[in-house]
Amino acid sequence: MDLISILATVILATTIGTVMIGIAAYAAFKLRDKRKPKARVVGEDDGLSRGASKEPVFLSRYVPVPPTSIKTVK
Amino acid sequence: MEVKKITRVALAALVVGGMATLLVMSYAKVQEAKGSFSLLMESYVLSAISTYLLVFLGILILRYAVLILYSFMEHFEVIKRGYATAVPREESSLPMISLVVPAFNEGVVIQAAIRSLLQLSYPNYEIIVIDDGSTDDTYEKAMVVAQESGDIAVRVVTKRNGGKAEALNTGMTLARGEFILNMDGDTKLSSNTLRACIRHFDNPRVGAVAGNVKVINRENIWSRIQALEYVEGLAMARKAQSFMRAVNIIPGPIGMFRKSVLQQVGGYDHDTFAEDCDLTLKLLMHGWHIAYEPSAVAWVETPSRLLDLLKQRYRWTRGILQATSKHSYALWQPRKAGVNFGILWYMLFEGIMWPFSTLLGNVFFSYVAIQYGLASLLFYWWLQLTLLDVVSAAYCVIVEEEEPSLILYAIAFRLFYINIIDVSKVFATIEEWRGHTMTWGKLEREGKL
Repeated sequence: MDLISILATVILATTIGTVMIGIAAYAAFKLRDKRKPKARVVGEDDGLSRGASKEPVFLSRYVPVPPTSIKTVK
Repeated sequence: MEVKKITRVALAALVVGGMATLLVMSYAKVQEAKGSFSLLMESYVLSAISTYLLVFLGILILRYAVLILYSFMEHFEVIKRGYATAVPREESSLPMISLVVPAFNEGVVIQAAIRSLLQLSYPNYEIIVIDDGSTDDTYEKAMVVAQESGDIAVRVVTKRNGGKAEALNTGMTLARGEFILNMDGDTKLSSNTLRACIRHFDNPRVGAVAGNVKVINRENIWSRIQALEYVEGLAMARKAQSFMRAVNIIPGPIGMFRKSVLQQVGGYDHDTFAEDCDLTLKLLMHGWHIAYEPSAVAWVETPSRLLDLLKQRYRWTRGILQATSKHSYALWQPRKAGVNFGILWYMLFEGIMWPFSTLLGNVFFSYVAIQYGLASLLFYWWLQLTLLDVVSAAYCVIVEEEEPSLILYAIAFRLFYINIIDVSKVFATIEEWRGHTMTWGKLEREGKL
């Protein structure tokens, strides 16, 4: 067997092998992608609160104190 | 330095000469096997596929020849321009530039990235870090560096997660500079970046400047081959496109824009997975010129594991197809679209025809080898493609003054790398055509900056 025939056989084996590896790797990538946790839904921790209370910081509604409950301090 | 230069040229000559010799020997071997070429014309199917592959090879050779010629002309023009504009500009006349750094879960690299930005050689700039609702400590880490910074203003803004396009648009809104440099959170810029890019805007027709991207983590064969891919993509393809004033992708890691131009085209859109490609096409469709600056380098971390690499290429393929499809009207209006007509067809060639055809060629010649015992035909086909890769790698490594060993990776590129990537690209194209849903696919950083 001459050099070209040996190299041609190597390339044939490599080509078939890498195409098969390509298909297997693609299947593995899709499988791994499917098994990942789903995207966050609204209402879940959005990363801004980071363990703090889930109450909004700036948008807490102002509730005026009823006049009857105000006591005059002398 | 001289030794490295000589090594580079000697290795390039050796590898190109070796591959060319093998090609001649393999041609002789194919000729020896009587009737091997005529076998390809035996049936309608065989002759149709052979003719198609021959046409494809012709287009590919033409593509490489044109790109190498134009990129060399651009290289020559840059050297000439460099001498002409060697006069330093007044520091006080340099406009303000806003650097926008979108960051989602970049905690591992964000501090190194911001610290490197504080070292840039430019008198008038600010840094805006947009934390895109990270679930790690990106925001806190960015804040620490922001508090350390002295003369340079560093603003860190946190927002609900909305994707990279939204983060970049937020940065655009907050930017105080006349020019905006958009980059990635894991990128390190060369210190001359801002000075090198800003001079292109002396030309009022230039709306944006694309920088040069290089791989920083050259640690295994995957990342080394990618380093070669980046060098080839930029030193050859982008330089040639710059010569034609038609750069088709301003890379995500480094792109400078006029703020007014970004606002004119409405910033980044959310409807593709390649927002940088989409924005570039929008600029081109609005008639803006895009320049390429090779000396403005962004060092990036690339995937060093196969599955991460496939994830990245899958997203790029589908993203580019989405962006092309958005502007597809230019495909059918050559007179109206002008140079954009050529750009879009070129993108379709690279995105669809190239991976499909090389895969088809490999499968076809493997079949011929097994069925008719003619493995030398497959080898001859493989050598032709490899010789093109090696010639372009040698040219790019010499022009970019890169590591000489990268030339050898051109062989590994054709031997296994591109076969695996092409399979993924073909599947991505089919899925895009069939409208499968997809997710962004965040690359896990290893903190190599």
